[in-house]
Amino acid sequence: MKKMFLVLCLAGTSLVASAQKEKYEATMNELTGVLQSEYQRSIMPEINKMERVANAEANEWLPQYWVAYGLIRESYVVSDNAEKEILLDKAEEYLRKADALSPKNAEIEVLTANLSSGRLVIDPMTRWQKYGALFEQHLAEAARLDPQNPRVDYLRAVNIFYTPEGFGGGKEKAKPHFESALQKFETFKSPHTYSPAWGKAEAIYLMGQ
Amino acid sequence: MKKLLLLFFLPVLTYAQIRIQGKVTDPKGEGLAFANISLLDTYDGATSAEDGTFRFETSEKGTFKLQVSSIGYHTLIQEVTLSGTDLTLNLVVKETINQLNAVVVSAGVFEASDSKRMVMLKPMDIVTTAGGNADITSVMQLLPGATRVGEQEGLFVRGGSAQETKTVIDGMIVQSPFFSSTPDVPQRGRFEPFMFKGTAFSTGGYSAQYGQALSSVLLLSTQDQLGTNTSTTASLNLAGVGVSHTHKGWITGSVYYTHIAPLLALVNNRFDFEKVPQGLGTSLTINRSLKRNSHFKLYGTWSDNNSAMNLPSYDTAEGSYRFANRNRNTFTNASYKYVFKDETWVMNSGLSYSNNKDKLEIQKYNADRTDERTQARLVMTKLFGNSNANSFNFGAESHYITVGNRYEGFDLGFDDSYTALFAETEMYFTSKLAVRPGLRYEYTSVLGESNLAPRLSLAYKTGQFSQFSFAGGRFYQNPEKEYLYVNPDLTFEQADHLILNYQIIKNKRTFRTEVFYKKYNKLVKEETPGFDPNPYRFPTGTTTNTGSGYARGFDVFFRDEKAIENGDLWITYSFLDTEREFRNYPKTLAPTFAARHNMSLVTKKFLPKITTNVGLTYSFASGRPVYALNDNFKEKELTKPFHSVSLMASKVRQRPNSFLVFYFLVDNLLGRDNIFGYRYSPDGTERYAVKSPMKTMVFFGLVWTFGKLNGRSREADLNF
Repeated sequence: MKKMFLVLCLAGTSLVASAQKEKYEATMNELTGVLQSEYQRSIMPEINKMERVANAEANEWLPQYWVAYGLIRESYVVSDNAEKEILLDKAEEYLRKADALSPKNAEIEVLTANLSSGRLVIDPMTRWQKYGALFEQHLAEAARLDPQNPRVDYLRAVNIFYTPEGFGGGKEKAKPHFESALQKFETFKSPHTYSPAWGKAEAIYLMGQ
Repeated sequence: MKKLLLLFFLPVLTYAQIRIQGKVTDPKGEGLAFANISLLDTYDGATSAEDGTFRFETSEKGTFKLQVSSIGYHTLIQEVTLSGTDLTLNLVVKETINQLNAVVVSAGVFEASDSKRMVMLKPMDIVTTAGGNADITSVMQLLPGATRVGEQEGLFVRGGSAQETKTVIDGMIVQSPFFSSTPDVPQRGRFEPFMFKGTAFSTGGYSAQYGQALSSVLLLSTQDQLGTNTSTTASLNLAGVGVSHTHKGWITGSVYYTHIAPLLALVNNRFDFEKVPQGLGTSLTINRSLKRNSHFKLYGTWSDNNSAMNLPSYDTAEGSYRFANRNRNTFTNASYKYVFKDETWVMNSGLSYSNNKDKLEIQKYNADRTDERTQARLVMTKLFGNSNANSFNFGAESHYITVGNRYEGFDLGFDDSYTALFAETEMYFTSKLAVRPGLRYEYTSVLGESNLAPRLSLAYKTGQFSQFSFAGGRFYQNPEKEYLYVNPDLTFEQADHLILNYQIIKNKRTFRTEVFYKKYNKLVKEETPGFDPNPYRFPTGTTTNTGSGYARGFDVFFRDEKAIENGDLWITYSFLDTEREFRNYPKTLAPTFAARHNMSLVTKKFLPKITTNVGLTYSFASGRPVYALNDNFKEKELTKPFHSVSLMASKVRQRPNSFLVFYFLVDNLLGRDNIFGYRYSPDGTERYAVKSPMKTMVFFGLVWTFGKLNGRSREADLNF
């Protein structure tokens, strides 16, 4: 009976733990799905919920990453430059947390490069020098850490895509990078269903433009 | 057994839910949308609706922390006890002071920066403005508050002379910001605009962190490290060649050789050179982010320039004298910035050494001008209060200066050690009201005197896009060295400023207007038997600090970045009413460098198809006063008004591993013969107009960068 009790006790705790894990995974799957695909309305409610997960799961880098991802995306949607800046400041805060939990992570470097381009679009004319350099630096670091990461090629392609032709950019110049990204998407394996998966649909869309 | 099992799973299986609902508002009761309400350490919570209301369910029991966070507001944490009953909460959050809502102290400052808010200009404006010739000071002359003076270098601000403006790089005063002066030939600034990430041109009422300028300071802050790439840049133009190499983004060395013969061959000019201006220069820049929290910068430059020309002597129509100069200039500036761990303390320190030697030959006489300055500076900044928006700065600077002038038998000169202490705080009472009081103490050994200068700025935000600002204070400066050579018993000259500013920035349009009053006291006045209008005369009379004067007026700036597609347009107008009794003026007079009306119209457009930027600038200044030799000052005479139209174009070509910019500019396109004043024959019977040595100037060149760029080449930014 005593043995039985002990076994049950252990089973109970592990059941609670696995219920928690299930809840984490289910919430992450639900939120990352919306964060990566919703383009019709504000994703602020999902960012907020992800922030609650990030605060509760303070040792997981992915929720921190996703809060930053959502805020960077939201910064492209709002029109006021000061508001963009405040959103990006907060995104940077969460990227720092993610980086502290998982240093030398290619996905975090890619997103940090994306943050630089978010800062850059606020005033491209005067910000190229600083944020263009930061963008390149973080993207190069991401490529060094994980040469097979398709989002490195994707982000480079997007950057070229939106650079005017006279400055070495344009659709044609971006194409090989999009193609290389799509190739890598074919073989790239993510550890979790809620790991970053963005870039593929966007690449196909932009190539069709 | 079954019962036991049930007992075990109870905590997992039972969902005794309670509801938490309420409203998130600001202190005025306005509901806030998209606030994040979270029960900390759980996933439970909600996002507030448009009107600030929220509701959510939770099955948690016990005491929890409930957190409310909203972008632009302070995070609120409050304890809640969950005991089976529903909760209704009214949550009030306070605004942070942030970029969206904070007022900016802006009176008296014209800033070109990309990191600050509410700036009038962008760093790129300095290189893309026609008529500015990519020279920082020339561009500043197109801004309200500055007078265009065509025969002399320097910034003449609101009735002040060029000596009343100081150039400051990273907090350090630049002893010789311009290439060596030649009578009636204005010189360019020594520093390339691309070196700087920010330029702030003060038209008065500036911060207690700076001193020794009665009218204005031009604050330049150098670039931070950009990327880690290696590249080489070559440049070629009508006045010389240069090459620079950047290694891994942090160290740059450059060498340049100037020789203006090609320019003289191509452009009609009145110069009479015996030795065409030529020179060799080199510079080294180190720019290193050491860790996340510290930064080291070093800039050192050395140049050697040589020229000899015949200048009009004005004794006969054809009379001339030889003016030869060999200038050697060294300037070094090192700075170190450290941000302490909690990011509320910042230390800025600097060390600078400069040495400028002119070896002159005037007619047959030898003359040497030397000046040397060593300076150190330390500023500590503490951020505090709501959102760390408040700051307290305090610091000290110390200079050791040696200046000298030898002319035949005369050997004039002095040493000065100058020390200043300053403290200043910027405080936000609310996001709408900011106050910045400051105090500066100075001691200078050459006068053996000290002073205490109070400064005050205020700003009040009147609407989402508009604000009023005020600036005022007292400003001191040592008398010009020519006076101090002869009379070390002089005291500080002083000026009091009052400035009121209104600006509105909305929808890519900027409107700014400023009213000012400036009172001068204790200006140096010289007793002379008659009046000699020659601005280059050496003072010989007895001098006292009994001069005084005033300047008052207003200016208007309007900028529209919307009217022209891919383009930009600005209009400035300044009205200036000023008189002073100083130098050898026998009575209170409008100074010869002051024009009553100044206006400029600047337009730019980028043509994306041909990747070319074009700009056109028109500038106007009303006539400046003319005083004759031994004038009786009964009749007023003005020079004819100044008009100039300038054009510039630059084309960019980018290849994968190289980058090419071709530029072309024309100054005074319409060839108007502007007159800047008159010089008189020794007997006063004849006078000769002072004109620009080149009526219409044409200049072109190219810049070619090889290698991987750090980000994009700065020239690429010509695309706006």
